Amino acid sequence: MFVSRSMSRKVATVDKETGLLEAWNMMRKHQIRHLPVVDDDNHLLGMVTDRDIRSALPYDLAKGGADPQKVEQYAHLKVSDVMTTNLLTISPIHTLQDAILLIEQKKVGAFPVVDKSNKLVGILSVRDLLRAFINVLGIGEPGTLLCIIAEEKVGQMKKIVDIVTEQNISLGSVLVARYWEENKRAVFPYLLSNNVARVKKRLKEEGFRLLEPMDWYIDQLPEQP
Amino acid sequence: MNKTGFLYDLRYLLHDTGPYHPEMAERLQAIYKGIEDAQLLPHLVRISAQRADLKWIREVHSDPYIRRFEEVCYSGNRFLDHQDNQMCVDTYDTALLAVGGVLETVRQVMNGDIDNAFCAVRPPGHHAERDQAMGFCYFNNVAIATRYLQKEWGIERVGIVDFDVHHGNGTQHIFEHDDTVFYYSIHEHPSFAYPGTGREFEQGQGAGYGFTKNSPVLPGQSDDVYQSFFESDLFPSFEKFKPQVLLVSIGFDAHAEDDMADINVTTEGYTRMMQTAMRLAVQYCDGRLISILEGGYCLERLPELGANHVRVLLDI
Repeated sequence: MFVSRSMSRKVATVDKETGLLEAWNMMRKHQIRHLPVVDDDNHLLGMVTDRDIRSALPYDLAKGGADPQKVEQYAHLKVSDVMTTNLLTISPIHTLQDAILLIEQKKVGAFPVVDKSNKLVGILSVRDLLRAFINVLGIGEPGTLLCIIAEEKVGQMKKIVDIVTEQNISLGSVLVARYWEENKRAVFPYLLSNNVARVKKRLKEEGFRLLEPMDWYIDQLPEQP
Repeated sequence: MNKTGFLYDLRYLLHDTGPYHPEMAERLQAIYKGIEDAQLLPHLVRISAQRADLKWIREVHSDPYIRRFEEVCYSGNRFLDHQDNQMCVDTYDTALLAVGGVLETVRQVMNGDIDNAFCAVRPPGHHAERDQAMGFCYFNNVAIATRYLQKEWGIERVGIVDFDVHHGNGTQHIFEHDDTVFYYSIHEHPSFAYPGTGREFEQGQGAGYGFTKNSPVLPGQSDDVYQSFFESDLFPSFEKFKPQVLLVSIGFDAHAEDDMADINVTTEGYTRMMQTAMRLAVQYCDGRLISILEGGYCLERLPELGANHVRVLLDI
């Protein structure tokens, strides 16, 4: 759950004297959007994003189709001219939950990860968080998702798990979400099996309601009919 | 009326998946009974199972996997790789007979003895990966048939259409780098159904990019959505690719009454789907179409679905 486990450790960096065109080429080569700017001891000084660079360069230059004369004209621009210095950073022992909440609040695409002495140790991007989310959902493995509406009371999950276990099926993930009916929860078990007809039947026999697939949700609560 | 082959063999019933498993021998019996009761058997050219030559299976599956399957099966284990793949001591032999029967059927079509054919085999194959059993599948029948067509009969472009409600991950992965095989699959959207692959953006890899096409269908959808996906995705793809032989992975589990998934294709919808495949076969493949059974678990509907399926092949 810690940032250190999900961040990218191999970070392409530049120093503040690096030319803007060179930084732009690096981004395109590595297919990245954030370049931390560091000093000789790897202390973080700032960051440039693809957007910073694009706004500083004319369109044809950013596209890579400009004539040499124009390239020459912009060759003096340095990373330090456009980098952001007032940076939001995160530490390796922040959690992924911290990072998700912060990224949503601050509307940024990536955080440089720094240790106590402000040395750069990695970068955590939205893409790293997505990778973690794919892992948590378990969708890298073949399986079948169900949505069960369960009473919000002790022991419901045990009943569900018992039914799944009876059928010798293992779980890839279980998500639980709020539901608009009071005292109800939506439980989304991801079953690592193709053989789920009997699980569905058993769940219904035990009084659970299965939500129709077209009514599944993961973000907004479904509306009350 | 076409000369239509029908591969069916009592030995395909020997693969026993144990209690409460949907991929049961009764499926095949239901299909057979439907065809028999509709008095279609006299019109069909019967084909029996044969053991496949391992050299064709090796064109698709790795040697260690084939040996592992054989060992795990003969030593009395109840499943291979995953609990889904329940088996008995006869499973390996049955799988060999399924592949061999399919290859014999392909041979008869290519030889001109028959026009087209339906292979009612068990176990199914389209989830089986190069080195892994998956989703009730052990050997990928349709993929092995494809390689056989190419290597034995010199066919350059094979088209595969997969009508099973689940995406044929195995078939897709086996051919995803290959520009000589076009894999088209229409199935329930992978966010709702097994196996979680077959999204629109999966279109092949490297040289095979553009030779895989997936049409994911949302839960609850029916015949009209299938038809419009054929028009937008399947027809233009095959117009460009021009397959020389058409293989159909026929799964009957998109039927509304099949509880393995949430798609509502009707019995008539299945007939129209198969007619669509037949038209493509006539248009591009000289009528050469071989359909190979994958899923389909509703024992009440399988008789009529099986009978209608061969009616379309016979063109009566």
